Amino acid sequence: MVKALDRKLMRDLWRMRGQVLAIALVLAAASATFVLSLGVHRSLTETRDAYYAESAFADVFADMTRAPRSVVARVGAIPGVRRAEGSIRQYATLELPGSSAPARALVISLEDKERPALNRLTLRAGRFPDPGQPGEVIADEAFVETNGFPLGTRFETIIYGRRQSVKIVGIGLAPDYIYAIAPGDLIPDNSRFGIFWMNTKALEAATDRTGAITRIALTLERGASEAEVIRQLDTLLAPFGGTGAYGRTDHVSHAFLDNELMQLEAMTRVIPPVFLIVSTFLVYIVLGRMIQTERTLIGLLKAFGYSDRAVGWHYLKFALAIAALAIILGTLAGIWMGRGMTSLYAEYYRFPILRYHVSPAVILGAAGLAAAAAGFGALGGMRAAIRLSPAVAMAPPPPPVYRAGLIERLGRRADFSVIGHMIMRHIARWPGRSVMTAFGVALSMGLLFATMQFVDSSRTMLDSFFFRAQRYDLMVTFTEPRGQDAIFALAQLPGVMRVEPTRAVGVKLRSGNRTERTAIEATGDNPQLSARIDRDGREIALPTAGLMLSRQLADQLGVRAGGRVEVELLGGRRTQLLMPVASIVDEFVGARAYASAATLDALVRDASPVGAAMLRIDPAARQEVLNRLKDMPVVLGVSERDAALRLFERMIDDNLFTMLFFYIGFASAITVGVVYNSARILFSERAHELATLRVLGYHRSEVGIVLLGELALLVIAAVPLGCLIGFGMAQLMTAMFSSDLFRLPFAPARSTYGYAILIVLTAALATAAIVARRVLGLDMVRVLKGRE
Amino acid sequence: MKGAARDGQMTAFRCSGLAKVYRSGETEVHALRGVDLVIPAGEILVLLGPSGSGKSTLLNILGGLDRPTSGTLLYGDRDLTAMDDAQLTRFRRAEVGFIFQFYNLIPSLTAEENVRLVTDIAERPMDAAAALGLVGLGDRRDHYPAQLSGGEQQRVAVARAIAKQPGVLLCDEPTGALDSGTGVRVLETLAQANRSLGTTVVIITHNVGIAAMAHRVFHFLDGSIARVEQNAAPIDPAEISW
Repeated sequence: MVKALDRKLMRDLWRMRGQVLAIALVLAAASATFVLSLGVHRSLTETRDAYYAESAFADVFADMTRAPRSVVARVGAIPGVRRAEGSIRQYATLELPGSSAPARALVISLEDKERPALNRLTLRAGRFPDPGQPGEVIADEAFVETNGFPLGTRFETIIYGRRQSVKIVGIGLAPDYIYAIAPGDLIPDNSRFGIFWMNTKALEAATDRTGAITRIALTLERGASEAEVIRQLDTLLAPFGGTGAYGRTDHVSHAFLDNELMQLEAMTRVIPPVFLIVSTFLVYIVLGRMIQTERTLIGLLKAFGYSDRAVGWHYLKFALAIAALAIILGTLAGIWMGRGMTSLYAEYYRFPILRYHVSPAVILGAAGLAAAAAGFGALGGMRAAIRLSPAVAMAPPPPPVYRAGLIERLGRRADFSVIGHMIMRHIARWPGRSVMTAFGVALSMGLLFATMQFVDSSRTMLDSFFFRAQRYDLMVTFTEPRGQDAIFALAQLPGVMRVEPTRAVGVKLRSGNRTERTAIEATGDNPQLSARIDRDGREIALPTAGLMLSRQLADQLGVRAGGRVEVELLGGRRTQLLMPVASIVDEFVGARAYASAATLDALVRDASPVGAAMLRIDPAARQEVLNRLKDMPVVLGVSERDAALRLFERMIDDNLFTMLFFYIGFASAITVGVVYNSARILFSERAHELATLRVLGYHRSEVGIVLLGELALLVIAAVPLGCLIGFGMAQLMTAMFSSDLFRLPFAPARSTYGYAILIVLTAALATAAIVARRVLGLDMVRVLKGRE
Repeated sequence: MKGAARDGQMTAFRCSGLAKVYRSGETEVHALRGVDLVIPAGEILVLLGPSGSGKSTLLNILGGLDRPTSGTLLYGDRDLTAMDDAQLTRFRRAEVGFIFQFYNLIPSLTAEENVRLVTDIAERPMDAAAALGLVGLGDRRDHYPAQLSGGEQQRVAVARAIAKQPGVLLCDEPTGALDSGTGVRVLETLAQANRSLGTTVVIITHNVGIAAMAHRVFHFLDGSIARVEQNAAPIDPAEISW
């Protein structure tokens, strides 16, 4: 049988269902965001780790121009190496059926025994290539799906300068291309870049590399030093044109995935706490008021012989019931959103199976946090209920004492109306609650602003990168570095308006004990098709001598302008020398180093200084230019700036706006929860006064001002505070979301403040209107019959 | 006809067949069962009767706080039953001063500010300080209700009610929570308002002694007026035997 006190609890919950629901929604947002971000983080981490283990993802990678296969055994003998494997990798140009867009693929040799030891391929459909059929390949799933190619699709490729017809016989996935991004791109373009696996013999024949390899991958023994293995590997591979070995952290696919995981973790740490804090406050004020109104009842219960503990537990249960509702709602919402987010991830990150799996630990964690937040909020009220002695409780409470404070004196001078005094004194009478109400609304606004400014941040990056830094239409990469004649040849093509050379030379930069693997990029003098733009939008010229480092790289190396770094060229001659850091550029994208063409040429001392060419073309001649480039054997790949831009914009639209949609909902829930509960408490405290005013001849609208005026003042006070909180929170979040790959700019548009304010005010107004309807229905006679 | 007006005298309220039925759940409560009544302007009236006999319901309806279920009610020549909520509010604002047993002061406002609540919106108010002077609280105008005694609080309530120079003062148990000395002071203020401003005063009370200061006494029983007494020589409140 349900005890009488529990029956009261159920009825209280039902009677106060509006307030209970408003708090539960805020607390549910905490649970939902927690289950969402931590759940996705865990699913992604567990899936990745299982996949890495199952497919033997390597620990260290090294590329070289060409080495004999026998080197693999020597690498395997390096102490700390568990297993090493060699392969050939070659970029190829593709002529896709039904498409004129430039496309390319990375062709990787597939061991004839079908399954390589490391970075094992998972066959999703079809079969492995027939050793007797040199043109058969397995293509990566994202490429095949995006282009809609069925098995058996044939097309022409140019591999190592030779035309070869290939046929897709299988669809595969590999752990080193979970995120298949073409070199130099910011975002994968699966329609234009694919990973192909070809039989080793066939690829050896196609690239004149019989008995040779261009890459070594290896796994480490447990406890082996990665840095030491890399050092020995570099020494071993230097004669073969090794470009410097690197570990997983510098592996592109792994690094992007890691970046994503880091952002999810940042989300878990920032967002749920905001909702938890607000929920705690809401439980605190609602329970506080409840105990105030139930004073007599508490006295009665104690007089009947209920213990302090039983009374305290009764009110704690009220808070925990709200938490239970929130946990159910929040977990369901979190799982639902987690599924959606995971399927969004599955588009970019290719795993054999990526399923949102929410572990009991995550749900228990979310439940524990929600219960703790509600319980903590209940403490104040419980203590008051426990302390109340029956005799005191059954007497009416002492009337609230009002005093003219500082604001009051100012108000008197400003000749406030009597209603104005009522509002101001009530705010001053409960300063803690007033401040927390304004703070809660401000937090809601801050959260809105901090999430919405990610659109500005991305757009600024987009603008800086695609419109200010990259001014070319096409980027043409060559199969190997060329001389100036390649530039002249491109300039001859009809429709090409301007050609500028660019090159990137792989280096290791060292400062003290810090080493970073990167490339020094150079353009010709007076470049018009590219520029380095700092975060303030200024164009920064290349220094005439020395290096210019991106802020990110300078921070990683711990150097400043005016300092020096040790430069080690990777590949070819392994020159080492000290170079001055002439300047630092505050860029958004990556850890990069720049030098003037003259500086880089002097460093490299070779005769073929052109690694790639930037082209500005007549848009009307685009197709013709692309066709001509396709026929040039020296051209390895062509990337189109506009295509990358479109992809980036689509990503913002798809992902960011979906995320925003949810966060606008969650953040508004805070405003609704805070305003609704404050208004209800205010109304309950002031019902008597409001009725009195009505009796005295005040109209409903005038009486409404007393109630809504106080709320309006607090909400208005929350606006500047919300801007401030949003500003700080946005900076924190952009910093936490920044990684080695991107440094997100903090560049909120002014309108974003406006939108955040607008959304909060709308939510506040709508909520206040609901409570205001109660003022209209106020029964003067009934209220005035009793004593407050 | 019960409670007929004296010839040539103005009428404050005139009601006929006034009934009020409250519905609470499935039960109907007949608070008023067809009350016919004329209240002459400028008199002091006392409503006597047991709890639940309909006194407060009548007072609330007279003051425009509540509406009758049926019947007619005129204030002067204005039909209160035909007024909408806004019109009733304007009626209260201009004509009615209420005084309750529990004062109903706004705790966050000083004595003077409580009076200003009314003078700010009334059509022909007296000065708030002057109203407090009339009830003998000129020196306590800056005190908050929590700093005043019960009697003082009720006098602030009286000052607030008379400050608008209302046509009628409607008092529901105005001395119910006061001791005799304080109660008499409050009643004296009411009588003074009646004399000097010509205000019609209606008082609900359980205290039979108070009936002696009234021109007329209405005895309520079970939602109707059982009996009306006329008092040719109302006494001064100071002489009331409490």
